[in-house]
Amino acid sequence: MLNYIIRRLLLMIPTLVGITLVVFWVMALAPGGVGASLLSAEGAMRPQEREELRKYLNKRYGLDQPKWKQYLRWVNQISPLGFEVDDAGNYGKFTFKAPDLGESMPRGRPVIDLVAEALPVTLLLNLLTVPIIYAIAVTTGIYAARHRGTALDVSTGVLFISLWSLPVMWVGVMLIGFFANRDIIQLFPTGGLHSTMADQMTFLPRFVNGTWERGWLLDTLWHLALPVICLTYGGFAFLSKLMRAAMLENLAADFVRTARAKGVGERAVLFRHVLRNSILPLITVAAGLLPGLLGGSIIIEQIFSLNGMGRLMIDAINQRDRELVLSITFVISLISLLSLLLSDILYAVADPRVSYE
Amino acid sequence: MSEAIIPGTAGSAVDPTRSASTPPRSWLAEALYNTFGRVGARIGAVWIGVIAFCAVFAPFLANSRPYLMKSGGRWSSPLLEQLTGVDVTLLAVFFVGLGLMFVRKLNMGQRAAILLWVVALVLPLAYWPQIGVIWRETQWPVLMRGGLLLLGAIDLAALVGIPWSMRLGLRFQLIFAVVLLPLVVLLIVRPPNPTRVPIYEQYREMEAAGQIEWVLRAPLPYSPSDRLRDQFDPNRPHPRPPSWEHPLGTERFGADILSRMIHASRIAMGIGFISTGIALVIGVIVGALMGYFVRWVDLLGMRLVEVFGSIPQLYLLLTFVAFFGRNLYLMMVIIGLTSWVGDARFVRAEFLKLRQQDFVQAARAAGLPLRSILFRHLLPNALAPLLVSVSFGVASAILAESTLSFLGLGLVDEPSWGQLLNQAVSAGGGFYWWLATFPGLAIFLTVFSYNLIGEALRDALDPKLSGE
Repeated sequence: MLNYIIRRLLLMIPTLVGITLVVFWVMALAPGGVGASLLSAEGAMRPQEREELRKYLNKRYGLDQPKWKQYLRWVNQISPLGFEVDDAGNYGKFTFKAPDLGESMPRGRPVIDLVAEALPVTLLLNLLTVPIIYAIAVTTGIYAARHRGTALDVSTGVLFISLWSLPVMWVGVMLIGFFANRDIIQLFPTGGLHSTMADQMTFLPRFVNGTWERGWLLDTLWHLALPVICLTYGGFAFLSKLMRAAMLENLAADFVRTARAKGVGERAVLFRHVLRNSILPLITVAAGLLPGLLGGSIIIEQIFSLNGMGRLMIDAINQRDRELVLSITFVISLISLLSLLLSDILYAVADPRVSYE
Repeated sequence: MSEAIIPGTAGSAVDPTRSASTPPRSWLAEALYNTFGRVGARIGAVWIGVIAFCAVFAPFLANSRPYLMKSGGRWSSPLLEQLTGVDVTLLAVFFVGLGLMFVRKLNMGQRAAILLWVVALVLPLAYWPQIGVIWRETQWPVLMRGGLLLLGAIDLAALVGIPWSMRLGLRFQLIFAVVLLPLVVLLIVRPPNPTRVPIYEQYREMEAAGQIEWVLRAPLPYSPSDRLRDQFDPNRPHPRPPSWEHPLGTERFGADILSRMIHASRIAMGIGFISTGIALVIGVIVGALMGYFVRWVDLLGMRLVEVFGSIPQLYLLLTFVAFFGRNLYLMMVIIGLTSWVGDARFVRAEFLKLRQQDFVQAARAAGLPLRSILFRHLLPNALAPLLVSVSFGVASAILAESTLSFLGLGLVDEPSWGQLLNQAVSAGGGFYWWLATFPGLAIFLTVFSYNLIGEALRDALDPKLSGE
């Protein structure tokens, strides 16, 4: 097992290098190259200032050097193992160091801080979503398999496909337009993660002087209700179909007949024998869902003004913030790569038959 | 390349001499027949038919320019005069395709090849004035001229190569040439040359001034970029809700929404098919090489698949869009470049299963070239999962384009469903329900249709389910 994990981690390195290559070269091959986006603000400057800025940028990012050197410089900067670089841009010795994601030019802040602020929001959104998707998809999958061919089986199938086809942005806009609208129905807040007064709330809801106070937890959940709805409904189709197929396959298997023949109760057959075997394929796809969910949360964050990674990305693009775009794509890819690895390991843990030796 | 996209290779395996009273159906045709026997797939096909009709006839359905008018004793047709090269090509392909449906002797692959040939013929003819301008006034002479020459060479190869490789018979080729001859002559004499800055309101103003004696207008007399500058009214700001003049209302800048939606269906279809085609070509080639050669090619290829698979597609798309310009054709290429991973996986899995089988060994032993083994012998067996993934791929490409447009990172001036949706919630907090409902519904129905067809295809092709 340990062997397998180590081998997988080592195989991740070429993939990570590949990701940096793709991300960097997409940018470097763009018209104007790397520097164009950085220098775009120079129109308002005096010639002397412009020259200074150019000099600084050349020093900082090596913009006057060939592209492959710039790439190596960037990789060295984000890698935890590499040459130390001091503020003047001189290279020191080859050691372990803190990976540096660079500095966001328009904001004048280290990228790592921006990512550390935004990542929890996106992760919270996704970690809330996955269990809900699973709970609903597994339940309907079991039900559909047991009542195969009935009207309910067919109609949930069609319903889930139509839900899957519903564009997230449409649902988001409609929900916010109809249910978070002062002129129509104001059931939910229009955006953000907390109310303005959330800092002064207690964690749990309570009555103060006879008036109801929401509390921090409920306030956050109230704000997250619409975004989570938008993010969940699309995942049902795939998972419940997978669950249904696995259940059907196992229900027809020999061991189920044996269990029934020796007098095991129907409930025990279903939940102890069939379900346990059917849940395996769902574990594997759990992490595979993540790239899709992360993509979907870009739209959600934009619609509901949640300051997560997606919103940061859009802002970074609009401000032509090269370091931020590069780092966000890199961090997001790293997360989904790690989650793929995690699902493989989980699979091996869950299924004793699987061996990676 | 043509082997990769034309599903006719499986169809051509049918023996033509066996044409008895009931023509034998190929395996693929059988699967398609089963698919479209299902209710879901039929509903999907009907909606896609509607969208395709809108896409082909968009300028005839919604246009500020009249079909035909008489002004100062002179008859003219501003609409026909202002058709673009794309309009003409689409119309030619549509009518040739319609004609081909009545020719029974041809299989699907041959029909697709003929349509491809028509595109290769009409497109350069329809664009030659613009090509001339680019040739003369380009910013990067070497790059642009080289590119044009390359495109010209590819086009010429297709023009000569397709009829040659199809072996259709001289009589058929003659009939075909005679049918297309008038169009070719017309395009050479009067190439489509639309004005760069159209003035849409001139016809309405002429009519108001009584300069037009007789006029026949399009059913919806507004072009997608007609911002109704002559009907400015400070008391009725845009966007306006649906009314009799504008059935679905107007958007922020005053253009008619229905008109924009009709023209946007063309972009949706184009993005859907072309980017899926690009993804398919890349995916098939990478997957085929990985599945056939195994060992280090597979190891290397899988890393490539992993790289593109683990960057979430939308982030990758946004990175591309952030650093490159916003252009329809670039967008097609980018969406194609970011969505080939699934196809490559399917083809690889299928080839891994097949590579040790006797017919592959036999093909190799017979000394067939690699191209032939991969695409003529192995690929037709892997077509089933690919067809399913194409159907879902078109849906997700359409979704990707409307997502980008919704986020304000898509096309700038061209009409797009996502771009309309983007305007539904204004910065000031206003909500324009008509701008949210109709374009969103169009995206949903189109994506739903492709997904329904994909689902039906998967069920029809799945041997496990055939016992049901």
